[in-house]
Amino acid sequence: MSVRVFRWRAIGPLLLFAALGVGLWVLFADRLARYSAEKVGTAIVGAKVEIQRLHIDLSAGDVTVRGLTVASPHEPFENLLQADELVADLDVLPLLEKKVVIDRLAAHGLRFGTPRTSDGRTVGQSDGLAARVMSEAHGWAQQFQVPALQLATGRIDVGTLDPRNLSAIPAAGALAARTDSSRRAWQAGLDSLRLGPTLDSARATLQRLRGARAADLAVLNDARRTIDQLKRAQGRVTALERGVTGGLAALRAGVAGIDSAKRRDYAAARGLLKLPSLAAPEIGAALFAPTAVARFERALYWAQLARAYMPPGLLPRAQEGPARARRAGATVRFPRERALPAFLLRSAELSFTLDAAASQPKRYSGRLTGLTSDPALYGRPTLFAASAPAIAAGAMIDHVRATPRDTAGAVVQGVRLPALQLPSLPVRIEPREGTVELAFALRGDTIQARWGVRSSRVRWARDSGVAGSAAGDLVWRAVSGISDLEVAAGMTGTLARPRLAVRSNLDEAIAARLRAVVGEEVAAAERKLRAEVDRQVEGKAAPVRAQVATLQREMAARVAEPRARLDQARKDLEGRLRELTRIRVP
Amino acid sequence: MLTLVKLLQSLVQALHSEGTPGQVAAGIALGSILGLTPLVSVHNAVVFGLIVLLNVSFPAAMLGWALFVPAGFLLDPLFDAIGRKLLLDTPALVPLWTTLYNTPVVPLTNFNNTVVLGSLVFAVLVFVPLYLTARWAVARYRATIGKRVRQSKWYRAVTASKLYNVYRLFRPEP
Repeated sequence: MSVRVFRWRAIGPLLLFAALGVGLWVLFADRLARYSAEKVGTAIVGAKVEIQRLHIDLSAGDVTVRGLTVASPHEPFENLLQADELVADLDVLPLLEKKVVIDRLAAHGLRFGTPRTSDGRTVGQSDGLAARVMSEAHGWAQQFQVPALQLATGRIDVGTLDPRNLSAIPAAGALAARTDSSRRAWQAGLDSLRLGPTLDSARATLQRLRGARAADLAVLNDARRTIDQLKRAQGRVTALERGVTGGLAALRAGVAGIDSAKRRDYAAARGLLKLPSLAAPEIGAALFAPTAVARFERALYWAQLARAYMPPGLLPRAQEGPARARRAGATVRFPRERALPAFLLRSAELSFTLDAAASQPKRYSGRLTGLTSDPALYGRPTLFAASAPAIAAGAMIDHVRATPRDTAGAVVQGVRLPALQLPSLPVRIEPREGTVELAFALRGDTIQARWGVRSSRVRWARDSGVAGSAAGDLVWRAVSGISDLEVAAGMTGTLARPRLAVRSNLDEAIAARLRAVVGEEVAAAERKLRAEVDRQVEGKAAPVRAQVATLQREMAARVAEPRARLDQARKDLEGRLRELTRIRVP
Repeated sequence: MLTLVKLLQSLVQALHSEGTPGQVAAGIALGSILGLTPLVSVHNAVVFGLIVLLNVSFPAAMLGWALFVPAGFLLDPLFDAIGRKLLLDTPALVPLWTTLYNTPVVPLTNFNNTVVLGSLVFAVLVFVPLYLTARWAVARYRATIGKRVRQSKWYRAVTASKLYNVYRLFRPEP
C-alpha cells in the first residue's frame, strides 16, 4: 500500500494559522516592539527604560516613541533623561538581516536629571554586562583613599598605648641587667686585690723602720721591697679604677639611652593620635574628592559601556543571549567588511531643556552622528555636539582603530547647580547659578579628566536634622561667610594607577581655622600621651637610674678607700726611708 | 494534570492511529525538534509547517514535542557547549557563519545563538536514529499489546474526548 507524502487538506488550517499569526502581529507588533525596546534598553543602560507608546509603520519606515524615560543607573530616584517624542526614519531592508539602521532620528523635549518616584536601577538585580561594568567602575573608584576630615568626629582620639611598643622599657631592663653584672664583676675585682697582707706588711716594715738606723741595711732593703709591693698594689687598684670608671660611663650612657628611647616613644605615641589634617590640599581632597571621583566614575562607566557595546575590530563578538525560560546561551555577531553594522544611527537631531525647574527653562539643540555597534564597519567615530550661548558640550567615541579613544567635555554656565554635601559634615553648599565643567578623556587605558565648579553666589546651609558637632561648627564658622566657590579636580595617569588632585578656595580658610582651634586640643592630647609614656616607662627606668647612681657612688667609695690606704702606707714608708738615708727614692 | 491527560491522549492516539509505524515515527522525530530547540525560532515554524503538511502523525509530533521539552531543558548545557564549539571555537566555520549572518532572513533564525544552533544540530543528528527506533517500537507495540489496549475501557474514554475530534482532522491519510 502506498502512502501519500502530503496532507493537502491541512493547507487550509495552516494558511488560517498563518493568517492568524499575521493578524496577531498587526495587533501586537507595537506592544511587542515596545516591550523588546524596554528590555534591550534596560539591559544596555543598567537602569529601567520605560516607553509610554511605540508605533511602527513599516510601510513608511517610521518608528515613533512617545514618553521615553531612562532611569539613572547611579541615582535611585533620578532619571537619566526623559524625551517627549522620538521619531526614527528606519531602513526597512536591513531588518531582514536583523539589523537596525536609522537614517535620521529627531528627539524632542529631552530633559536630564528629572526626579522619579521609584528606584530605576537594575544593575544590582542582574549579572549582565551593565552590572559588570558598573561593578568595575565602582571598584576603580574605591581605590582612591580620600582622607576624611578627621575633626568630623569632634574629638582627637588618643588611641591605645601598648607597652610592648615602647622601646624605653626593654632598654631599661637591659641596663638593669648590665648594672647587676657590672656590680658583680667589680666586686670580684675588689676582692681579688688582696690588699690586706700588703698593708699589714707595710705597717710591720714601718714599725721596724722606725727603730732602725741608717746602717741597718736589711731593714732598709725590706722597706724598699715593701714599697715595690705597694706600688704594684696601687697599679692593680688603678687598673680596677680605670675599668670601673669606663663601666660607669657606659652605664651612664645606658641611662641616656633610656631617655633617648623615651623621646622616640613620645614620637611613636604621637602617631597614635588621630590628628585632623591641617594641610590645605588634604582638606580640599577631604571636602570635594568624593564628589569629583563620583563624577569621574560615572564618566568611566559610560565610556566602558560604550567600549563593551561598540568594540573596535571585526572579530566575532559573543554577547549574552536573550533572556528566556531556556538557557540564554551566547549570541555571536559576525561583522563583515562593507556590510551594514548590527545597529547604526546615522544622524540624530536632539532638542533638549536644561534647568527644567526654572521659571524660564532654556532650550538647546544638539547633533549626534554615527552611533553604531560596529565602528570599524562604519569607519568614522561617533560625534556629539551641542552649543549655545551658555553651553558647550561635545563627545567623540572613536573605536574605529584598535586603541579606542573616548573623549567628552561640557561647560554649562548660568544654570542652577545641584547642592554639594560636604562629606561627614552637616554642611551643604548650594552653588545656585554657576558654571560647571567636566572633561573626560580615555585613550586606551590612559585617563585624563577634569571637573570644576564655579559660583559667586554660594549659599551655605546646615542640616537641621544633625546635631551640632565641633567639626560642623568649626567648618561653618570658617566658610559660612564665603560667597565664592571654586573647586577644581583633576585626574591623570592610567586606569590602574590614577592620580587625583583636588583644590578649592575653601581649603586655606578651613586649614587656618583648624590650625587655630585644633592646636590646643592637639597639645592637650600630646601632653596626655607623654604622661602615659612617662607612666609606663618610668616604672622601669627610674629604679635603673637609681641603681646606676648608687653603684657609681658605691664604687667610687670602695675604690678610693684602698687607694688612700695604699697611698698613705707608701707615703709613710718613703718618708721614713728618706729620713734614714737622706736619699730620694726613685 | 490536564497536561498529563493531554500527553496520555497523544500517546494513545499516536500508537493506535491509522498511520503506519513510519508515519508515527516521523511525527515523533519532527516533534522532537520542537521540543529540543527553543520554541520561538523561525526554524520551528518550518518544522511545524512540515508536521502539518507532510503526511505524518500529528499526535505523534505533539507527543514527540511534549516528550522532548524536558530533555531540551536538561540538555541545554550540552547544546550551549556544542554551539560555542561551532560558532566560536572552530575558525574554519567562521566564513560560513559570517556569510549566513549577513544574508537576509537567515539571522532571523537565531542560528548565531549557541543554544539554538547546538540544539538544532543535536536534533538533526538524532533525527534518523530516533525515527528508526520509534518505528521499530511502534511496530512491536502494535504486534504485541496494542489490540488488548484498544479494547480496554480507559482507551475508549480517552478517544471519546473532544480532543480526539480535533486529532481526526490531522490524522494520517492512507
